[in-house]
Parts: sequence; structure tokens; C-alpha cells
Amino acid sequence: MIQIDQLTKYYGKHARGILDLTLEVKKGEIFGFIGPNGAGKSTTVRTLLNFIFPTSGNATVMGLDILKDTVEIRKHVGYIPAEVNYYDDMTVKEFLSYSTHFYSDDADERMAYLVEKLEVELDKKVGDLSFGNKKKVAIVVAFVIEPDIYILDEPTSGLDPLMQSIFFELLEQEKKRGATIFFSSHVLSDVQRICDRVGIIKEGRLIKIETIDQILKTKAKNVRIVSDDLKLKNNGNIVNLKKNDNVTTFTYKGDMNKLLASLQGANIIDVSIVEPTLEEIFMHYYAKGDETNEVVD
Amino acid sequence: MKLLIKTEFKRNLRSWFLWSSIIIGLTILEITLFPAFKDSISNLIDMMSTFPDSFLELFGLNQGGLDLTTAYGWFGMEGYLFMLLIGGSYAGILGSGILSKEEDDKTIEFLLSKPISRNQVLLGKAIVVLINITLLNVILFGIMSFIFASITDYEFVTTLFICIGPFLLEIMFAAIAMFIGVFMTKSRSVMSTSLGLVMGLYFVEIIATVTNKLDFLKYFSPYEYVNAVSVVKDHSIKPLYLLIMLGVMLISAVGTWFFYNRKDISV
Repeated sequence: MIQIDQLTKYYGKHARGILDLTLEVKKGEIFGFIGPNGAGKSTTVRTLLNFIFPTSGNATVMGLDILKDTVEIRKHVGYIPAEVNYYDDMTVKEFLSYSTHFYSDDADERMAYLVEKLEVELDKKVGDLSFGNKKKVAIVVAFVIEPDIYILDEPTSGLDPLMQSIFFELLEQEKKRGATIFFSSHVLSDVQRICDRVGIIKEGRLIKIETIDQILKTKAKNVRIVSDDLKLKNNGNIVNLKKNDNVTTFTYKGDMNKLLASLQGANIIDVSIVEPTLEEIFMHYYAKGDETNEVVD
Repeated sequence: MKLLIKTEFKRNLRSWFLWSSIIIGLTILEITLFPAFKDSISNLIDMMSTFPDSFLELFGLNQGGLDLTTAYGWFGMEGYLFMLLIGGSYAGILGSGILSKEEDDKTIEFLLSKPISRNQVLLGKAIVVLINITLLNVILFGIMSFIFASITDYEFVTTLFICIGPFLLEIMFAAIAMFIGVFMTKSRSVMSTSLGLVMGLYFVEIIATVTNKLDFLKYFSPYEYVNAVSVVKDHSIKPLYLLIMLGVMLISAVGTWFFYNRKDISV
């Protein structure tokens, strides 16, 4: 549904754009696009919607060229911006009606549903809304047209946890309906919660695309051992080792049998082996290669 | 696009109303002052004969210029200049804000995420500028006709020309301001640049009129194109000047279209 091919936006030597970005978002999937602020997420989104022009490379949305078929693409895209800027002097009601008039379909029922669900205050002026409440209006704007593709740039920022779960519920509904979702975020728990695949972007370059399962599976486990006479031999598979009194924590990347074997004979009071969070894995991608592999004996 | 025009028009209505009130109010004041001054005008003319000709030319009062003893001549001396300057300022501000405000307020990102092309955005906004300026001048023409008719012999053609001159000037300033707005996205900066242009060009007009040596400058002064003597007295705008004005409008419009369709809109 979204095909990005060697897309580059060059802003000059000191400003960061995107470089040689290639990725594909398949129909019906939720694709997480993660990276810290300034990595190039918004630049990618803005290029897809033709707010800005790529320096080189190209991209298509639903097979439509982002430069030539801009208007046609926009008919099918629901967009939530990272920072919501709407007309301050309009009431929310006026604004929503302005927004929906750009589309031919009548969406009164859907509008009423979303407004109620997200508890949007229609009579307030847009300018008087808080950041989070503006975001809710942005969600209505994007979801009311029931688009084929959602392009979401940090959609959960500013939302309280309750609204976040309502938002994810709506997103699940849309996925079931068959919508394709491009979900850009720096909040990994969001991505972990809902995305099928993730692309990780760092300094304008895409460094990895994997399914959430793959990412979680291929990576190490977090191990926590409470023991008063633990002696561990590091065969290179132990990282981030921390020892505090009789509590040892580390991330283990190797064969689990070997780890368990090495624990034989020690007086183990407690042990837990859990999957690391995406956050921890993510930090791994962003580590500058100075990981400390301390040797323990 | 209809809705875009309607919304944009509504957004600019208050400013239109304020500026129109000022221009229409001053115009009414200027014309209605004539009967009171009429009797002492011969004194004024005597006094002015002591002024240098180039100075008088600035007010259209040199030999072959305006006839101050008529209401139209009286209005051409001062009221018409106000129309040009204030109308020009309004047009400059209107044109400046129409594109840049949307970028300054970052609402352009919303607008361009809707199924609407940049050309439609441009066209819609240009139409709103045209409507605002036209509406102002049509109303002005109506009110002026009424007041002139009530104090003097009504001259339809003269009244019409008094409105067409500023109208053309306003459209030209608005077109230039819109063009500037493509490159400068801070509303305030565009506004001061456009206003600076409107006032600065009047300064060029003063220099071109007062000095004889820098006569060529008159080609750079839009105020000269529609100066009171030719518009109010002669009912004419020189074809060359008309061509220059239309040319500037066209170049501004094409330039706006060309660059607006190619620029990065990053908020």
C-alpha cells in the first residue's frame, strides 16, 4: 500500500533529513515506524503527503505517485500530525464540519460516534483546547472519513492513558475493516502493543525492519538471579551485568542450556528469566557500540 | 473549493470591514468638507500660487491640473490620495496574510492533508482577495456617487475613474504581496515588507514629481500610473502604465503559482 524507494530528503550538511529510505507497508498491516525525535520520521510522513519534495528517490501510496497524484492520495489518507495546529478562531464543531466537507461522503453518524467515544467538546474554540484535546480532534478528523490508509505521526502524544486505550481500540477496529496503518512513534510500548512490523530509523537511515515477534524472539532474555554464592563464567553472551549484594541481573544472548548448566551447584534463592521490553532492545540498536561485556568469575 | 473560499472570506471579513470603514469614512468626510471650503477656496488658490510648481504638482495643482473649485477637483487633491495610500496598504496587508498566515499558524498542514491541490488553495485565496477588494470598491463607488450627487453635479465617468484607479493599484499591490508571501512565511515580516513597498513607492512618486532630473522614476511609481490629474480630470490611464500594471500583476501571479507549487511547506 505504501512503497518507499530510496527516498532521500537532503536539508544540507547540518540538518537531518532522510537518506536512501526504502520500505514497504503491506495492505492491512500496522507498520510501526520508530526512532527518537529528529531521526526523520516526520520528514518521511511529510514527504509522503507532499508537504515537502524529496531530493531523490520516489514513493507511491496505493500505487499512486506522491508527486503526481497528490490529491488522489489525500482522498484515501487519514492523517494525524505530531503537533496539531488547527484554526484557533473556529469552534470544534465548525472546524470538524469544515474538515469533512472536503470529502464527498456524508459521515454524520460516524462523526457522532467518534465525538462521543473520544469525549470531544464541540462548542469550545479550537484555540482554547489543550494539547491532548487538540489531538482528540485530530483523531476524529482522521478517523471520520474511514480512509484506506492511516498515516499517524506520534498519534498518542498528549493523550491520557484512558484516551490512549480508546484510540488503540479504534485502531483495532480500523485494522479489522482492512485499513493499512503507518504508525510513526518514539513510544515503543505503543508500537509493541499494536504493530505487526516495525522499521527502525536512526539518523535518517532505516536500520532494520522486523516483525515484533522476531524482534522480541531473536533477542536476549533478561535474567535476574538471587544467590549468595553465584559464580558466572561469561562466554560472551552476558551483557549489561549488574550485581547488587546477592542480586545479579544481566541480559543473556546465548544458549539457555548453557546458562542453566552454569547455575548448577550454586545456592539459588530466586531466579527469573523474562523477555526484555522493546525499549531495551531498541536501546541496543541505538547503543553506540561501547557495550560493556564485563567478565565475571 | 467553494467552502475554502467561504471560510477564508469569513476569516478576513472583520479586517475587510475595518479597513473599508476607514476608507469609506474618510472619503465621505473629504467630499462633505467641500461645501464648507468652497467659499474660501479662492484664497487657498492665491496662497498656493506662491508655492513652487513642482510642489503643487504633487497634489495635482500645477498648471493644467485639478480644478479646485469643483467638488471632484477638491477630492482629487487629497481624498483620492488617501484612497490610494490606505487602499494600497489594505491590499498589501490582505495579500500578505492570505498565504503566509496559514503557514505562520501552521494550519497549512491541515489544509494540504485534505484532497485539495496547492493550485486550488492558491486560486481560492486569490479569489477571496479579489472579492474583498472588488466589494470595497463597488460599495465605495455607490456611496461616493450618492454623496457627490447630493452636493454637486454628478459625473458618472469621473466617479467611476476615481474608483478604478485605486482598484487597479490595490489589485497590483495585493498580487505583489501574495508573491512575497510565498517566500516569507512569517505573517508579520510579509506584512511589514508589503507595507514598506506601498509606502516606499509613494516616496518614489514624491521624488519623481518634485525633481525634474529623476523623471524616469515615474515609471517605477504605481501612484504615477493612476495619478489624480489623469484619472480625475482626464479620465484616462496611459496605455503604457496600464500595461505595466497588468504586467506586474501577471508576473506576480505566475511567480506565485510557479514557486508555491514547488516549495517545501515545512511548519
